[in-house]
Amino acid sequence: MRYRSLLAGVAIVAGLALPAMARELTVVGFGGGFQDNARKHLFQGYATATGTKVVDDVYNGEVARIAAMVKAKDIGWDVVMVEAPELVRGCQDGLFERMDWSVVHKDKFVPGGTTTCGAGAVGWGVALFWDEARTPVGPKNYTELFDVAKFPGKRVLRSGAKMTLEIALMADGVAPGEVYAALATKAGQDRAFAKLDTVKPTVIWWKSGAQPLQLVGSGEAAYAVGYVGRTANAAKDGAKYPLLWNTLLYSFDFWTVVKGAPNATEGMKLIEYMTDAGPLRALAGDWAVSPATKAVADDPTIKAKNPGMVANHAGEGLSIDTDFWVQYGDDLEKRFAAWAAR
Amino acid sequence: MLLTLPAVGLVVVALLLPLIYLLCTAVRDPELRATLPRTAAMLRAWDGQGLPDEAVFAALVEEAREAAEGQRIGGLAQRLNFERTGMRGLLLRAAESEVAAPYAMGLPALDRNWADPAVWHVLRRASVGVTPLYLLRAVDLDMTAEGDVAVMAERPFLPLLSRTLWIAGMVTLLCLVIGFPVAMSIAAMPPMWARVALGCVLVPFWISIIVRTTAWFVLLQREGPVNSVLMALGLVDHPLQIMFTRFAVYLAMVHVLLPFAVLPMLSVMRRIDRRFARAAASLGAPAWRRFVRVTLPLAWPGVRAGGLIVFMLASGFYITPALMGGGGDQMLGAFIAEYATASLNWGMAAALGLMLMAGVAAVTLAGLGLARLALGRAA
Repeated sequence: MRYRSLLAGVAIVAGLALPAMARELTVVGFGGGFQDNARKHLFQGYATATGTKVVDDVYNGEVARIAAMVKAKDIGWDVVMVEAPELVRGCQDGLFERMDWSVVHKDKFVPGGTTTCGAGAVGWGVALFWDEARTPVGPKNYTELFDVAKFPGKRVLRSGAKMTLEIALMADGVAPGEVYAALATKAGQDRAFAKLDTVKPTVIWWKSGAQPLQLVGSGEAAYAVGYVGRTANAAKDGAKYPLLWNTLLYSFDFWTVVKGAPNATEGMKLIEYMTDAGPLRALAGDWAVSPATKAVADDPTIKAKNPGMVANHAGEGLSIDTDFWVQYGDDLEKRFAAWAAR
Repeated sequence: MLLTLPAVGLVVVALLLPLIYLLCTAVRDPELRATLPRTAAMLRAWDGQGLPDEAVFAALVEEAREAAEGQRIGGLAQRLNFERTGMRGLLLRAAESEVAAPYAMGLPALDRNWADPAVWHVLRRASVGVTPLYLLRAVDLDMTAEGDVAVMAERPFLPLLSRTLWIAGMVTLLCLVIGFPVAMSIAAMPPMWARVALGCVLVPFWISIIVRTTAWFVLLQREGPVNSVLMALGLVDHPLQIMFTRFAVYLAMVHVLLPFAVLPMLSVMRRIDRRFARAAASLGAPAWRRFVRVTLPLAWPGVRAGGLIVFMLASGFYITPALMGGGGDQMLGAFIAEYATASLNWGMAAALGLMLMAGVAAVTLAGLGLARLALGRAA
């Protein structure tokens, strides 16, 4: 910061007229391997194609940071990657700009890949895995994962209601297609928490996406439900982690522009570039992505090359219901937090 | 008089103003008035009998539509839903619907909850501008539709508060019990060695809490060195579960907070004239009596200061318990952080903060009083 203001000072002293743009086009994501590869193919690809400098930063999805920026009218980010329920709620709260569909081509996305304030970026999912080097035979589905007698040891689940309650209901025998109808009722919610009660002493709860791999990799826990992208990558590096696609829960992350961002117009153009088939194909060469862009998501060669692509297994898994979590998220997360701390 | 001004100023700026701000945040209720100003004014004038009239229904729909269009309805939806489950969807559906006049007929047709007086009572209470809701929820109480105070079916926060104070108290006790002999022996060392020993106490200060906590994880995990040594020695036949237990939480917290107990005790002990203890011995007092009646009362200011600092810091911990403990070891601070940074419910965060502060103050005063009583009796 100080360096930048020094530069600005020098520029003013030198009598150079600075452009009105206060800072570089800034794009923020969740980090990890995806962002390292996106930096090369998407962010710098855009910079090369247009001559606009792009810098990127990392956050953990804390929408509160964006809310604080918008409130203080000091907006340090332009384009942000967000999860679907946060996008919908942030859109209602005025944290994100409405998408400019005259800049971003709406018809290139898969169904569900666009919302008022966001354009689909990449699909992601969680699924059950374990370390076959330590545990040759593991649970084959969620019902078995919740069978403490047959599968002793610690199991790693996400600390939060979203995904965990769906898993609990499926473990209790609810068909994937009926999970959300059940969770919308008090009886269904009680049933999910009752099922979680049966495994509670054997659960380690994760908050950041790296933890399931660390806990299973170090032998602290026997089984985990974690992000498939990271699990598949660890498996590629030699870990013996089978991915059970029948346990997949998946959703899309979205690109959006922060409300009042100084580079909002440029941000829309960046989103259009990042969701185009060309750059995404280049990205898919280095990293197993599941874009929300139809031409790439349905491309047979890319699908064949990336067996870990969520798009390959959408039929087997459960699509996380964004509308459900927008409506019931507050109550269920509150109840989950109180339940977990008991 | 003038000389006390800096101290008074510090108390006002560092204690009173934040406290007042916290209290205001905990009772402020601005969302409905800011988002639906006309509706709020009409609701304040409403007598609360039956359902409000058509004008209120119409104002609500019109203003909700404007707010949704202007992307500023989310805060109100969250506030109302916090008080009554289902209000989020109810309000947003009304804002997005095509309902036309007469709205007093149209809204209940859209969702029959709009014909429930309880929904309108929630709205009327939210139109006042201040609310006891957050403070009530912090102590596991709730408001009924009629505005009466009721006990919540689930009681999350009071047990959490007592757990937080218990953990902080145990950590304080452990820090004092471990830190006292450390401080005493450093105080008795020749200056050269005392400097080395003090350096050892201070080294952990140079390392971030996260790094130290992670180091404990490496040591204590199932396949870590501690379990390997225990197994090799034949003390246990299968790895102990140490991580994600209360024991691990105590261990990591004491490790982090020990210097805060040692340093104040050391500074007091260095000034204790050792001739007092010798005089007591020459008068025939055995070691335990010398300790209880001479050393401890003289070192008491340091023990008190160290204990206070450790207790205050420990009661605000939440990252270490989150990393080292299980679900049953989480502290109130985790919930305050969750409300402040994730669910953006600053009212609830402030209310819980006030409750934690009140709890800490009560325990501190009680502890100091008890200690004074015990010391007085011993002396």
